[in-house]
Amino acid sequence: MQRKNVISNNQLKNLLVTTVVGVGILSLPSSTAVVMDNDGWIAIIVSGILFIPFILMIDKLFKMYPNKTIFEIGKEVLGKVIFTIFLIIGQIYSIIIIAYAIRVFGEVIKGYLLEITPIEVIIITMLLAASYAARAEIEVLGRIATMVYPILLGLIIFLVLINMPEADYTNILPVFNTDFTKITRGIMVSIFSYAGYEIILFAYPSSEDKKSALKYVLRGMFIVIGIYVITFLTTLSQLGIDQLKRAIWPTISVANEVDLPGYFLENLDGIVIALWVMVVYVTIGPLLYIGGRVMENIFEAKSHDIFILPLIPIIYTVSLIPDNIISVYVNMGNILSYIAVVAIMILPTLVFLVAVIKKRRKKT
Amino acid sequence: MRRLFCIMFIFLLFLTTGCWDKEEIEQRLFVTEIGIDVYQNEGENNTDRLTVTYQYPNINAIGKNAGSGPSNFLLTANSSSVFQTGRHFMSKVAFPFHFKHLKVIILGRDFLREDELMRSVLDELNRDTKINKRVRILASDRKAVEILEASHTMEQRIEGTIYSTVRDNRHTSSFTVKALTDLITDFDIAGVTIVPRVTLDENNKFMVSGGCILKDYRFLDWVNAEENKIINLINGDVALETIDVEYNGNIISYAITSSSTKRNVDVGDKITANINIEVEGYLQGYILNNKKNVEDVKTVLEMEKSIEDEMNKMINQTVSHIKEIKADLIGIGEHLSKFHPKVWEKIRDNWDDIFSDIEFNINVDAKIRRIGLTK
Repeated sequence: MQRKNVISNNQLKNLLVTTVVGVGILSLPSSTAVVMDNDGWIAIIVSGILFIPFILMIDKLFKMYPNKTIFEIGKEVLGKVIFTIFLIIGQIYSIIIIAYAIRVFGEVIKGYLLEITPIEVIIITMLLAASYAARAEIEVLGRIATMVYPILLGLIIFLVLINMPEADYTNILPVFNTDFTKITRGIMVSIFSYAGYEIILFAYPSSEDKKSALKYVLRGMFIVIGIYVITFLTTLSQLGIDQLKRAIWPTISVANEVDLPGYFLENLDGIVIALWVMVVYVTIGPLLYIGGRVMENIFEAKSHDIFILPLIPIIYTVSLIPDNIISVYVNMGNILSYIAVVAIMILPTLVFLVAVIKKRRKKT
Repeated sequence: MRRLFCIMFIFLLFLTTGCWDKEEIEQRLFVTEIGIDVYQNEGENNTDRLTVTYQYPNINAIGKNAGSGPSNFLLTANSSSVFQTGRHFMSKVAFPFHFKHLKVIILGRDFLREDELMRSVLDELNRDTKINKRVRILASDRKAVEILEASHTMEQRIEGTIYSTVRDNRHTSSFTVKALTDLITDFDIAGVTIVPRVTLDENNKFMVSGGCILKDYRFLDWVNAEENKIINLINGDVALETIDVEYNGNIISYAITSSSTKRNVDVGDKITANINIEVEGYLQGYILNNKKNVEDVKTVLEMEKSIEDEMNKMINQTVSHIKEIKADLIGIGEHLSKFHPKVWEKIRDNWDDIFSDIEFNINVDAKIRRIGLTK
């Protein structure tokens, strides 16, 4: 089925940034600080840069097969059976990652805002709201992302501004003091925060100007790295290393440490969460869209939107499997980081490698 | 498809009401101050180790159309934890308590000596999602409930009188304002901290002055207002403070408007801490005498010299006192951990003993920028 949807490259960049930045931004500073201490930002930068070869590869793949979607390319390159297996793995991944994101979302909302409301209600409400976005086409997602993008940047700027008066920037010191053998573990922890970049696999073919799309995507990736590093340094300078390691969601904790002259500027966690809910919405929406598109191609259906609502009960059930918040982060997080490496790093690479080999064989 | 949409939309409306957490603002009791004491429990139910006092404002007695009654209410109960107390009170008050606007926590005399209790209370406060982490911590040399009883009816202020006093130290530096998060960070780094002391004077009015040194989560020593001023000066957070110095047979008073500190630690065989303190200020008072005027730069320089000498003397006294009690209140350990991490890694376990052997080079640079309206 030929899709006429077109998005501009700027929308592509915004979609990438808003999809990648989601629930990870809350816990990333603390989880990298636990592994790498004050040098956690190094792991964040390195793991972000690790994704750039994959982006280049995806760009190359779409240049080799112009005007084709990833599904058409995959079927052509690998054959229907093998590619369907790939899609099933990808589908398992997208169900788990949405379940994880929505569960963390529910825990944060319940912890900070709605104490008595059952988490089931929070989860299902958000899923239904996100399904509205996911049922639409990529063009609509691009527009939603462009709307939320300034809110995301606003959230980061807001966090930096409110922390400026109280923060002690010497807390960032000492730098380069960590044992650098730990960096592999640091990367494993932070690599998961870049999950969601696979949206470009689905959005790339819709780009209106494919020549300069790569430039915008790379720019988007650097913006994501920048957002994460700024968040890390802000939380570190406000909380200090020991408190940062203790916190589960340091990015919200810092909003509770603000106390500026004048009584109206304190307890800003409500504002931070309100902005963050928007950011999560544009994470879950596109991820759900990916889930629908993959289902569409597994079952060879005509459109993806009929699969969105049936996916919701599955995601809801998976999201409620972990017993507690620790289990969400430790067990679910571990399973997810392995499956994420397979689904968003290894599978695209395999498709690319086979495609390259086939092309070469054709020439000779 | 449209019908499905409609059903979904109606379904959403049911879920977005948020009625589980609906609560009217006037049906909340905002706790502003909490006092924590130790409850010497001999009975069977020995999990109750704290006596906790809540203070919350009487909203009806505040504002333009103030009704009658006391401006604040106090409630005291024995309990196992700070928040458990609120649940005990639920049978006595009409509405639930809210801790979002908690401003002050007063630690009672006996509580300061129980390090396990201190750790558990600090963890409880740090873990809670509602409490603002900049809640001010004070230590009392009496029971916390006595302080709250003395202060709670004083003024009609929503946020509480004690909080207004300690909110920031722009007006006095005779105590060091300490928020919960600062306290925990201090314990993490140096293991020692100083919190303001609140006490009662002869007229049974509360008074915040001086400080209480806590080390490893328990009481170590009291310091008086003068010494606390010097500790603040070394840390570079003095603004608006006056010191009196003898010059040329008269007392001159010198008002400090700003101060800043540069620490520089030499780590050789022996650790040497160089502390350079720069203070700026103006001449507050000298003497009305035609023979004694401030006319030339030389006089100003001489005055500065005598101010520096006096301050050096006071600082050295204070430093030798805190070296004696092995309390690193002046951020040397923090400086080492940031700028000499390799050295700090080796010495952090016996930092107390090393700190008491450190050599200090203290250098005060006082500047008189203005001399007022007369010469």
